[in-house]
Amino acid sequence: MKLTKQIGVIVLALVMVIGLIGCGTKGAETSPAADASAAPVATGGTLNVMVEVEVASLDPQIATDGTSFEVIADFTDGLKQMDADGAAVNALCAEETVSDDGLTYTFKIRDDANWSNGDPVTADDFVFGWQRAVDPANASEYSYMMSDIGQIKNAAEIIAGKKPVTDLGVTAVDEKTLKVELNVPVSYFDSLLYFPTYYPINRAFYEGLATGTFGTSPATVLSNGAFILESYEPATLNFTLKKNPNYYDADKVQLDGLNYQVIKDSQQALMSYQNGDLDIVKLSGDQVDQVKDDPELNVVGAGYLWYLTMNGHDVEALGNANMRLAITNAINRETIVTDVVKDGSVATYTAVPPQFAAGPDGSDFSGDQTKFADVCADDTAKAAEYYAKACDELGQNSFTFELLVEDQTETQNVATVLKEQLEAALPGVTLNIKVEPKKQRVEDIQSGKYEVCLTRWGPDYADPMTYLAMWVTGNSNNYGLWSNADYDAIIADCTTGKYVTDLEGRWNAMYDAAKIVMDEAVIAPIYTKADANMIKSNITGIEFHPVALNRVYKNTVKG
Amino acid sequence: MKKYIFKRVLISIFTMLAITLVLFILLQLMPGSPFNDEKLTATQKAALNAKYGLDQPLIVQYAKYVFNMFKGDFGVSYNISKNTPISQLIQSRLPISIAIGGMAVALGAIVGLFLGIVAALKHNTFWDTFCTIISVLGVSVPSYVFALGLSYTFGFKLSWLPMLYTQNSPIASSVMPSIALSLFTLASVARFTRTEMMEVLGSDYMLLAESKGVYGGPLIVRHALRNSLIPIVTVLAPLIVDLMTGSLVVEKIFSIPGVGSLLVTAIQSNDYSVVIALSFIYSAMYIGIMLAVDILYGIIDPRIRLAKEGTN
Amino acid sequence: MAKIKKKRLATVSGPEIYKDTYEFQPDDFTLRGDVETTRIDTNFASQNYWLEVRRRFFANKGAFVSLILVIILGLLAAFGPLMTNYSYKEQNLSQKNFAPRVQGLEHFGIFDGDESLKTTTGVKEINGYEEKGLTDTYYWFGSDVLGRDIWTRVWEGTRISLGIALCAAIIDMLIGMSYGLISGYFGGKVDNIMCRIAEIINGIPRLVIVTLLMLVLPRGFITIVFALMITEWIGMSRIARAEMLKLKEQEFVLASRTLGAKHFFIIFSEILPNIIGQIITQLMFCIPTAIFTEAFLSFVGLGIPVPMCSLGSLISDAFNSFTTHPYQIIPPILVLALLMLCFNMLADGLREAFDPKLKEM
Repeated sequence: MKLTKQIGVIVLALVMVIGLIGCGTKGAETSPAADASAAPVATGGTLNVMVEVEVASLDPQIATDGTSFEVIADFTDGLKQMDADGAAVNALCAEETVSDDGLTYTFKIRDDANWSNGDPVTADDFVFGWQRAVDPANASEYSYMMSDIGQIKNAAEIIAGKKPVTDLGVTAVDEKTLKVELNVPVSYFDSLLYFPTYYPINRAFYEGLATGTFGTSPATVLSNGAFILESYEPATLNFTLKKNPNYYDADKVQLDGLNYQVIKDSQQALMSYQNGDLDIVKLSGDQVDQVKDDPELNVVGAGYLWYLTMNGHDVEALGNANMRLAITNAINRETIVTDVVKDGSVATYTAVPPQFAAGPDGSDFSGDQTKFADVCADDTAKAAEYYAKACDELGQNSFTFELLVEDQTETQNVATVLKEQLEAALPGVTLNIKVEPKKQRVEDIQSGKYEVCLTRWGPDYADPMTYLAMWVTGNSNNYGLWSNADYDAIIADCTTGKYVTDLEGRWNAMYDAAKIVMDEAVIAPIYTKADANMIKSNITGIEFHPVALNRVYKNTVKG
Repeated sequence: MKKYIFKRVLISIFTMLAITLVLFILLQLMPGSPFNDEKLTATQKAALNAKYGLDQPLIVQYAKYVFNMFKGDFGVSYNISKNTPISQLIQSRLPISIAIGGMAVALGAIVGLFLGIVAALKHNTFWDTFCTIISVLGVSVPSYVFALGLSYTFGFKLSWLPMLYTQNSPIASSVMPSIALSLFTLASVARFTRTEMMEVLGSDYMLLAESKGVYGGPLIVRHALRNSLIPIVTVLAPLIVDLMTGSLVVEKIFSIPGVGSLLVTAIQSNDYSVVIALSFIYSAMYIGIMLAVDILYGIIDPRIRLAKEGTN
Repeated sequence: MAKIKKKRLATVSGPEIYKDTYEFQPDDFTLRGDVETTRIDTNFASQNYWLEVRRRFFANKGAFVSLILVIILGLLAAFGPLMTNYSYKEQNLSQKNFAPRVQGLEHFGIFDGDESLKTTTGVKEINGYEEKGLTDTYYWFGSDVLGRDIWTRVWEGTRISLGIALCAAIIDMLIGMSYGLISGYFGGKVDNIMCRIAEIINGIPRLVIVTLLMLVLPRGFITIVFALMITEWIGMSRIARAEMLKLKEQEFVLASRTLGAKHFFIIFSEILPNIIGQIITQLMFCIPTAIFTEAFLSFVGLGIPVPMCSLGSLISDAFNSFTTHPYQIIPPILVLALLMLCFNMLADGLREAFDPKLKEM
């Protein structure tokens, strides 16, 4: 008898727990409103910032991820910095002269630029920092920003170990004058100078530290920027920066400091935000339903293009251009961004994503998303036509492909939707999803061991070439091993050939290149990632950029 | 006795060695090299491999690896915190995890014991049922669900406790994670104590003690509890290990800078050297605890030692 | 009665002499007393062991109810997905995040598809069905973020979770049992070595080994089963070995050996049936552990790959929208908790049934 009673009570208890969960979720209406109205009034103040991942490195030449870049840029200035619109403006550089052939740059460094230990920022600090980037011993992952992208003299040879680092085409003419020599004119060179790989490092300070300790604590880094690192340890979940009183532009910096909190769970982040613990948080699509109508929601482009790469080299069916065109037209991108990703990401129909590269006339390279609508659209009817052709050409009407994705919730959701869309639009096609850790996925696509893969590419610099250079024959990120002589020729002309000084011609040539990629459906672009941020209404002036520095707080005001 | 301890220690060392071998083999089998990113070129990857000694023959790597591991040098992290020695990452995180884990064990053991004793003494009453419900719930619902419920109710709705771990108030921010973590321990201890106590209460020597006039508190504490405590020590050891599992998810939810959240991050960002190093530490802790319990148990109860020596 | 006696006599293969010398008459022997007067030992009646186990088990109401619940959950896992027109992977993105609605119940103000969405700007009452004008669409447990039916997915998930747990537990049982029995039976050096190996494997924390294996092997059902199996058999082998040590010196084993039985026969035909109770109990304890571990793996992101789902992956998926759409996480948690509860109670009940000493407590 007692046991039946027990069971009864247990069931009751279970029901109560469920009820508790249910009740707990009801009545959340009060807190946010109260929070919004009770905004603190004092100016200055500390901005509480949420980041999703730990800082991987505070070493500007070693760091590769957005979070690290953001924090490094909080306390370090380069020769240039980004203005609110993402254009390069002078920072530590006071004066810039470019030789007529576009091969030699001379920078004068500000006289009032100092490190936080009192040393002046010198030209030699830049030489030291840049040499570290190409030093093979450092194995900097972004060394190609110096060689392939920046075209700095001898950079490629140094990285390959064929020349000593001192041969790098960067010299300190005097204490405040830096001379940079390039192999070919680089039209976007100024926009590289705000990239952290191009930041200076105080040589004397660095050499005075024990090996391997640089950037592991506030005592082992120097600041020359708007903020100073106050508390930090490697992979910490919580760290702070305070205002740099000796910053040359200190008058403009209004915040007293920054308080970073690493939160991996977007739900916890939103709750902390609503509690008032955080001033800015980034949400995942799951939380967007809750904040859709909130004026504090800010969607900003994050630059990343998610796309399908198809291995036409090893999979016969995917080597057929009509098959690839059928796939790209069978995808319903609008549905994916509005119903699956939901964080404001934009459906993308061009090989180069929109909103990051402005041309000579200031227009967005991919501003017109319908430019290639005849070969890439959400059009199942057209997909069916291409598919019929492909079936004819291949003499087959049943295909099975393996879709490789990494193990993130969002990518897995997109993959399951892609599977449904493709299988519905192309009868006979079966898509099997294979989930792998990211490292494994990257290795597999780079070595060609895949059929179809959902992958991404973020822009390194504000020029369409950051995407277009990928599909050149032999590039390690040309995962489909696609090869087209015309295309290779155009890209060569743009990077080192006849268009290097002819900006207008280069811009048009890049359109031609993009058209080839789209006509052949080398990739199937899907969406350009955006970040859904919640920012307290009393905060203004956070600058967002899709390239290099995602968030800049120099001009932020906490009202 | 000495022989027994020596034997246990020897086995532990062998186990540790076996674990390093298993870990090393698994490390070799890990998918992809740790350096894989869209932006890396082949020459750079080779340079990185050379830098971290991943291009040497396996046997050399293994010998180096074992030597370094026991020295406390776990190599460097490749992804989470580039080029940072893992020992440095762990140094500041381990105390936090141990503190929260310790609190959880203490809480679970004390409350669990109490509930178990009450249930056994008040057998077949409301208290017994209550205790059963708690212990059944504790083992039936994953700790991250409890953690989320606690965080939502006391952190978000009531704002009694901080939702995220802050260095400034480590005690207040450890309360919810400890409770969430302790539930499984609490439930298991309560359940086990109840069974043990009932067995002891029904034994002949209790009857004897009672007939000699010992009753009330002294009877329970001196005779019943003492004899039922011994076996509880043995269940606590594996429970501490279960706690490690729980800490992974609970630390992630409360953003606690402990080893558990580090391991989850390492798994998700494929930082294998960190995964392996933490596995080694978890194993070492586990083996240490098991060894301590074995020896302790041998001291408390000679029968066990003799039995173990007999079968060995 | 006499007839029977005669018959018996005829079959007696005693010395021939008696048959020749004596001729038995029907009335030579008379039955002494009848059923009423025969003393049957009612205090210590001998009963079939299994009957007794069954009686004790069914007397334990908790275990009995648990058994019924397990059977119901099992049936739902088998047939639940067939009760709707949805499949577990079929998406309908225009019908995503619908609250539960059930035919009939909708008229009583519950399960009518109404949902109070808590947004940062206030509570919003929404009803996806009415917004889309769907009068004939029903998601009993609601639909998830991709517009898949949660009812179907929960039972599909239960199916996979139970499948993983059962496979892992049965393989554990086979390996652990054989290992323990062999180790205990042969004793001496064999036992020593086998014990050491088991001890070393047991020394590796299961969390670590499971996690690492999940990283190394390709994701999937079999990998999870394998990872669970690799550590869990130790407990089983310990029990089998301990029982073997207890039993192997007993007379019936000695008798069997004397009669020339092979080792293999003694281990698996003589001793095994005597410890099957303990083995089954242990098996029942393995199942909830396996279910729980799978849920943990899913939460860390090492679970079953999409589009398949398990209870663990359903919980961890719904976890992210807990504050947005709480109804999505309740069904998988409820089913998981019920399964855990029932298997634990069932195992407790079995243990008590097999071991009457415990029962008295």
